[in-house]
Amino acid sequence: MKNKLYFIVIMAVILSVLNSCKKDDPVIPNEEEVITTLIYTLTPSQGGTPKVLKFQDLDGDGGNAPVISTDTLDANTIYTGQLELLNEQETPADTTTNEIRDENQEHQFFFDESTNLNITVNYNDTDPDGNPVGIENILTTGEASSGTLTIILRHQPDKFATGVSQGDITNAGGETDIQVEFDVIIQ
Amino acid sequence: MQVVRRIFKLNLMLSFSKYGFVLASLLLPVLLSAQHCDLSIKGHISDRSTGIALSYSGVYNINTEDGVIADSLGNFLLENLCSGVHRLRITHIGCETREVTVSLQNDTTINIYLDHHAELLNEVVVHGKSENNTAQVSNTIKMDEIHLEGNKNLADIIEKIQGVSILKTGSGISKPVIHGMYGNRVTILNNGIAQSGQQWGNDHSPEIDPFVANHISVVKGASSLLYSSNSLGGVILVEPSPVPIDPVLSGFVNYIFQTNGRGQTLNASLARHGNWAAWRVMGTLKFSGDAKSPDYYLTNTGKQEANLAIQLEKELFKNCNSTLYYSMYNTNIGILRGSHIGNTSDLEEALSREEPFFTGDKFSFSIASPHQEVHHHLLKFESRYIFSENQSVTFKYGGQIDVRKEYDVRRGGRSDIPALSLWQNNQFIQTTYEHLFAHNFTLKTALQFDYTDNANDPETGILPLIPDYRSYTGSYLVILKKKLNKLLYEIGARYDLKKIHVWSITHELPRTIDIRDNLYHNYSLSTGAVYEFAELVKANLDLGYVLRSPEVNELYSFGLHQGVSGIEIGNPDLNPEKSLKLVFSADWNLGKSVFLQTLGYFQNIEDYIYLQPQSEFELTIRGAFPVFEYEQTNAQILGSDLLCSFEPIQQMKIILKYSVLKGTNTKEDIPLVYMPPNNGSGTFTYNIKDQGKWRNNSVSVEGEYFAKQKNYLEGQDYLPPPDGYFLLNMRFFTSVLLKNKNTLKLSIEAENLLNKKYRSYMNRQRYFADDLGRNIMFKVSYIF
Repeated sequence: MKNKLYFIVIMAVILSVLNSCKKDDPVIPNEEEVITTLIYTLTPSQGGTPKVLKFQDLDGDGGNAPVISTDTLDANTIYTGQLELLNEQETPADTTTNEIRDENQEHQFFFDESTNLNITVNYNDTDPDGNPVGIENILTTGEASSGTLTIILRHQPDKFATGVSQGDITNAGGETDIQVEFDVIIQ
Repeated sequence: MQVVRRIFKLNLMLSFSKYGFVLASLLLPVLLSAQHCDLSIKGHISDRSTGIALSYSGVYNINTEDGVIADSLGNFLLENLCSGVHRLRITHIGCETREVTVSLQNDTTINIYLDHHAELLNEVVVHGKSENNTAQVSNTIKMDEIHLEGNKNLADIIEKIQGVSILKTGSGISKPVIHGMYGNRVTILNNGIAQSGQQWGNDHSPEIDPFVANHISVVKGASSLLYSSNSLGGVILVEPSPVPIDPVLSGFVNYIFQTNGRGQTLNASLARHGNWAAWRVMGTLKFSGDAKSPDYYLTNTGKQEANLAIQLEKELFKNCNSTLYYSMYNTNIGILRGSHIGNTSDLEEALSREEPFFTGDKFSFSIASPHQEVHHHLLKFESRYIFSENQSVTFKYGGQIDVRKEYDVRRGGRSDIPALSLWQNNQFIQTTYEHLFAHNFTLKTALQFDYTDNANDPETGILPLIPDYRSYTGSYLVILKKKLNKLLYEIGARYDLKKIHVWSITHELPRTIDIRDNLYHNYSLSTGAVYEFAELVKANLDLGYVLRSPEVNELYSFGLHQGVSGIEIGNPDLNPEKSLKLVFSADWNLGKSVFLQTLGYFQNIEDYIYLQPQSEFELTIRGAFPVFEYEQTNAQILGSDLLCSFEPIQQMKIILKYSVLKGTNTKEDIPLVYMPPNNGSGTFTYNIKDQGKWRNNSVSVEGEYFAKQKNYLEGQDYLPPPDGYFLLNMRFFTSVLLKNKNTLKLSIEAENLLNKKYRSYMNRQRYFADDLGRNIMFKVSYIF
């Protein structure tokens, strides 16, 4: 019966050890990689007030729905476009665009406009290989129309594949880091 | 009496008759000088826990290379032996093989007790066939086969067992599926301890080195439910053998080279029954590079693995044998680069491609992101105290630590920071009391306590999919077993009380910690009976009712599951699943050369937990993602496993297998997804006569057929199930008996010999790439 006692003692010790350790609250991870906000600023080349297309999802995936805002674009106008990506969960907000610039050979923006929308977007910047990145771009509007403009950011695309440097995403591959769609009206 | 004490020390479980004689003094004696060659060893073999005689056990004398089969009462007689040391190997299907050393000087009588793999009724059914029929096939994979297949994952090895399939993610990751159940619903008992880890992930392989096992068996019936409350589908037992009773250093070395992936596997084991304790040390190293489909390399599918296991056995005090076991498993597995996707349009694009993105034109051993790094530690202590002829108490402790880090392709140099980083600590204790009453009536009762602490490392910089949690489970179980002539029956009951305490991080800003509790009372009941109508037919009926509490992923997942490109949302209000499973099987011994096994099963699961795609999409900065929520329905699985083996002539053996399964969501009358398709196989083996030193020569050809999964509704998955396919495999085997009685085994094996291009429904990589092409393996095994 000595042995039964021995087992009971072991069990009691293990149980009490388990019971005694309190678990700390988990540490909330610092989500520095998150992109909460995309701001597309379009400055008319003739001068005037810049137009802004903005997508903002402060709490990241899940949670509350993102907030999307757009401006009406003027017909037959050339705009100098600039994309800015932010992580607004950090204070002050972290400019993710800087990371993209540092790794510009591994990133490329693509612009996909619906057929009824009279817009063309051309790249206005290059990486060290001479391939476009798309942070800086030129957007040209045609006659009044409306439709959607989708902005896609690919990570590790094959920039040398056919058509990719002309802005055709078909052969690009890689992972999508951003894909946002704006309803655009040209007047 | 000194002798007897020593025998107990050796954990031999040999007892001697009154006229018993001197046994194994540990010197290998040179007594051969005065030889008498008219001695005999008489013996009786029985099951240690039940005391029931083990009929038709094999007794092989290693020294004389001669063997006999025990009779139906477990008795055997070896005659015309010379005096000196004899090593006997006792085998019985379903039992640990034991080696016994007898130093023979006079006629000797010995009693030998064997341990059953597990004292489950099912085991008895599976293994308890009379062994005079050589055509039989068991549901256990034995050591020889494990050594031959050791370059593979555990699940890939047991796929050979009827009714078992695998769910794969590429070539490196595989999970076992028993009768359509996997993940949280299947328990793997590694050395008697339920394997803890991240069972919830379909892309998480069980962290076990198959080489540690002496045998791996699968228990599909209801009685297995008593080992763990979760095992709705069945239990997989991975059992190392006890250290052989051999004072001389013994062991083995295995080496395997495979052409596909240019993989190499090296494994070595050393064991000795020393004076202080019996010990065994085993180590395994594996590495391979990019695997290849018939047309292209599967870039970034290399794998590295390093494992170690140490086993110590000692008699702590009289009648109390103890085992201490430690094992470590470390792996780094590459995931196909082209299967890494950022959103649903990436997925659609990948689905439409013939060859995956990022396919390199050169072979490489390097492993980059995405990849998984996993470390698993198990420490086990078991002590069994036999306090009378028919009563024993067993204490078992198992401690496990599981560290899993998964790396994704990330921006800004973060690919070196894991995207998922989990740490799990599991502690388990169990005390079991066994009593063998008169008239073959056995009582077994056990008390278990299980504790799990699961933590996410915030280093990821990503909100965790599975929250931090702790769970506590207390269980009590009773099993009664009785043998009445030709009938063996068993009744079991189990009760579990489980508490889960969860710390989840809110998805709304500001982020805070939300603490939740769930409490479950579960019970399980099982009953089974085996009846031997005659020597020829044996029937088994097995019925079990079991409750499974929802796991933490089903309750509290929240977020984007990269691998499946969807947002998964748990449901804290889920009820336990209630499963009723009926298994009926019959074994037919038709003459000496034909064996037929027919098995049918029906499983009804009330409140079956599954991921239901929702109608709305969740908009994120990476586009809209489908939303999947954990919901409950009722499910039914109906299936059958058929096996026929026959020997038209003595050297020839043909095995035919066929499995069918159909899973239905009965509430909505739609098919269940990811159920294994119907499949069958045929193996033809020709044994070539021994040629001098060349023994056990054989050639075998295997054809495997996997049908297309037709039980599928359009739109239930991203892609419809792929077409059926046929694979051809081949194996040459031989062994050389060396002068010093050591054995060298050699084999050459080819898988997918025809280099067939195919995609398997049960491989999640099928969305992106073809399955493996031809693989030729060269295997060497040296046993000493």
